[in-house]
Amino acid sequence: MNIVFEVIQFVVNHFIFLLTILLFTAYVLLAIVSAIALQRYLRKNSYVDYNSIILAPLTPSISIIAPAFNEEITIVDNIRALLSLYYNNFEVIVVNDGSKDSTFQKIMDAYHLEKVNYFFDYRIPCERIRGVYKSKNRSFKKLTVIDKINGGKSDALNAGINISKNQLICSIDVDSIMEPDALLKMVKPFMEETDRKVIGTGGVIRIANSCEIEGGQIKNIRLPKKFLPRVQVLEYTRAFLMSRMAWGKLNGLLIISGALGMFDKEIVIKCGGYSIATVGEDMELVVRMRRYMADQKIDYSLVYIPDPLVWTEVPSTLKVLGRQRNRWTRGTVETLVRHKNMLFNPKYGILGILSYPYWMLFEWLAPIIEFIGLVYFIVLAIFGQPNWSFFFLLLAFVYTFAISMSTWAVLFEEMTFHRYKQKREVFKLVIAGFLEPIFFHPLTVYWSIRGNIDYLRGIRSWGKMDREGFQTYKKPKK
Amino acid sequence: MISEKRKYLLGILYLTFGLIQIQAKPPIDSPRNDTLQYYSRDAFVQSRDSSFSQTYNPEYERLLDKADRAFRIGLLKRAKKFYNQAATINPNSAYIHYRLREIQNRIGNFNSFILYFNFDKPDLLIRSLTFFILFFVGSMLVILLFILFNRGRMEAIEQRKQILREQYQGLLVDYLFSADSANTIPVEIGKIATSSFNRKILIDQMIDLSINLTGSAKKKLRELFFALKLDKDSIKKAYSFKWHLKIKGFRELAFMDITDANEEIIKCLHRKNEIVRMEAQLALVRLNHDDSFGFLDHLEKPFTLWEQLTVYETIMFHKLPIPQFDRWLYSKNKTIVLFALRMIDVFKQREAYPTLFWLLVNEDAEIRNMTIHNIGNLKIKEALPHLKRLYKNEIYLNYLAIVQAIAKMPDESILNFLKLVIDKEEDVQLQIEAAIAINNMGSLGKLTLQKLMDSDYKNYQIIIKHVLDKRIN
Repeated sequence: MNIVFEVIQFVVNHFIFLLTILLFTAYVLLAIVSAIALQRYLRKNSYVDYNSIILAPLTPSISIIAPAFNEEITIVDNIRALLSLYYNNFEVIVVNDGSKDSTFQKIMDAYHLEKVNYFFDYRIPCERIRGVYKSKNRSFKKLTVIDKINGGKSDALNAGINISKNQLICSIDVDSIMEPDALLKMVKPFMEETDRKVIGTGGVIRIANSCEIEGGQIKNIRLPKKFLPRVQVLEYTRAFLMSRMAWGKLNGLLIISGALGMFDKEIVIKCGGYSIATVGEDMELVVRMRRYMADQKIDYSLVYIPDPLVWTEVPSTLKVLGRQRNRWTRGTVETLVRHKNMLFNPKYGILGILSYPYWMLFEWLAPIIEFIGLVYFIVLAIFGQPNWSFFFLLLAFVYTFAISMSTWAVLFEEMTFHRYKQKREVFKLVIAGFLEPIFFHPLTVYWSIRGNIDYLRGIRSWGKMDREGFQTYKKPKK
Repeated sequence: MISEKRKYLLGILYLTFGLIQIQAKPPIDSPRNDTLQYYSRDAFVQSRDSSFSQTYNPEYERLLDKADRAFRIGLLKRAKKFYNQAATINPNSAYIHYRLREIQNRIGNFNSFILYFNFDKPDLLIRSLTFFILFFVGSMLVILLFILFNRGRMEAIEQRKQILREQYQGLLVDYLFSADSANTIPVEIGKIATSSFNRKILIDQMIDLSINLTGSAKKKLRELFFALKLDKDSIKKAYSFKWHLKIKGFRELAFMDITDANEEIIKCLHRKNEIVRMEAQLALVRLNHDDSFGFLDHLEKPFTLWEQLTVYETIMFHKLPIPQFDRWLYSKNKTIVLFALRMIDVFKQREAYPTLFWLLVNEDAEIRNMTIHNIGNLKIKEALPHLKRLYKNEIYLNYLAIVQAIAKMPDESILNFLKLVIDKEEDVQLQIEAAIAINNMGSLGKLTLQKLMDSDYKNYQIIIKHVLDKRIN
């Protein structure tokens, strides 16, 4: 019996330790690749004058698709912000996905909408479209509003694609705030396409909690006042600047955030549009598009732009954050399970050999392994087995690694976009990094475990995402 | 006796900062207890006294006190120095020898730390982990300090730049527009522009200014550029190995119309780095006065849409002479053909029609598509029969392009063809485009649509309503 226990102990100890080392090595390597790619991007783009192409005749046409469900408070301002983006050749399609509040009425009134005789094809199946609306006012001729039966975010996006007239589609969460030049930056990779077809672009999502907003645009950038959103600033910075940037460089990007992504419309349609059977529709679409391109043997790329393109409000309460993380986990699992035959499949290149295993091991399984490790350690502690000295040494190793990575993330932010102007804000971020492994990380593990359990139980709902709303801009006193 | 909890806490501090030396007794049950014995200084008094003079030696005691203090707070080299000095007074002291051995151990490696904690793991692992912990903490501290100082540095640089910009702008405007400064270079500019930093700011300022200048003022600015020998700086940059400096050099040379580095710029047309390539193209458009677009003849790499757009913007912004782009319609580089087609369309070069006709049967579908669009935009009616003939053998996107092109040059002779498209095609977009084309035919088109509306086929009504709804299109 003792021998069995010792064998289990040996295997578990070594496996978890090796996994930790592998994970840390992956983080460090990704951070290095990101740093190189970032430096090149920033240098390259310091010579680009985006303003000069705003009115250029050769730019590709874009349809911005913004699904809206119960957004009555902010919808009018958000549409105005979308209509005032810097680009010449675009339309805005707002899809009212069967809102139960006065979202649709508010748009109707604010933009003087009337139903038009729009003829379209359900090239991608979606719930019935009750009507397509255009404004009587020619100033809003870029705006098209779809009123449809509720079918969820993916379904609303599919409806928007069916109506879209342009070459590229840009999906956005209507409650997010786009940077005015976001379209210019996102379309550039499509225009730089050579032999490799560019199928999509995505960029950095920034956190708008505590920022001051006016007319649907960011006026003052502030670090979130609450601890939870502040920690998420670090988390997002690490994810976007130290990981996705590298995956983009390696052409192994597996996700373009649902908050903002631009895609080649024809490829999206050929792939069947957004899947309504998953809560991680953004990741699933990207994986499916990549699979499609690989199956068709077409050389392609998915480009990641390390510029902050969109600002969004993140959950500031444990309850809502828990729901969000639970959904993210389910979305990841659903996508990975659905495309399981990509694992180590050389046909899919770096995607099958590197990206998929990375996501499976470190995004899906790592929290589970961490949880098992914790349970195992508690059992050892109860039976008086643990090597306390080594435990504390490892704990110090893991903790210092975590805070060191957070500090690097702060440095990346500082050297790239430098959005937090006050020194105090930088140090608050660093302190959040010290507290994150103690207070925040265990919760993410818990939510991830719950997500896995809910996935096994067949739960497919989004969960209600309450928002606090943005802070309005206070004009400085003269 | 320090409690277990406190001991581990101290251990972590020891690890983290490498400064605190634990002075606690190891656990009694430690398996390596025999290898590390704990000695208090008092324990050595006897041995010290037995081998040393019984008389009190204040210097010896002072040195030992100093050494012990340094040892306690982890200043091991300092402690070693004092123990050594004490050893010159009492060479036989076992206490001093023990301490020196211990210091040697701690300085050389972390053995004492490893032994103390009884990790029961390979030394290499413990050493590696300890190293990484110290590295992580160290890097974190360095980053924080860097952020702190870098902010201050950047602010100072920005401030300096701002001051210089204002100074230079004032001096340059005075020089360019004041009558009494006809041919003399302002002494102040020469004085300020001595360091490379200042010269960079001056060059930037002159380029910013040159954007809005024409005629004699621009000429004067260029002369000043030469007089201050700033052209040497720009040429040096153009020959730099660093691509971002090279680009800056190209830009400066193009703005100041300096052709001395054209050879290097031409070489860069074939560079792998697409940014260098693009900037070389842009520079040549302005610097190759005999043949601004001559680089297109030699371009082997793809000429991306972004590059095409920037070249187009350069043409428009600097009002450069526009060549006949049909010259490049026979290029072997597909992207150059596409660029030429785009430019023919933008600059309405209708005389390119004979060549466009041949491109309708080009083997590349994208070139055919662009040609069809061009024919529509240039309203070349002579091509209508060809377009109609091509229709049945084309791919979907080119069907669409053909119908769209026909819509732009309405001709009654094509009415039956368009009716056939509405009738036979299943694709909604094609049907809509065909209906638009019919609608563009004036009264005959409108009558035809009315007849189709009245027919029983339900889709016709929806399609035509869509087409006639002016709010949509």
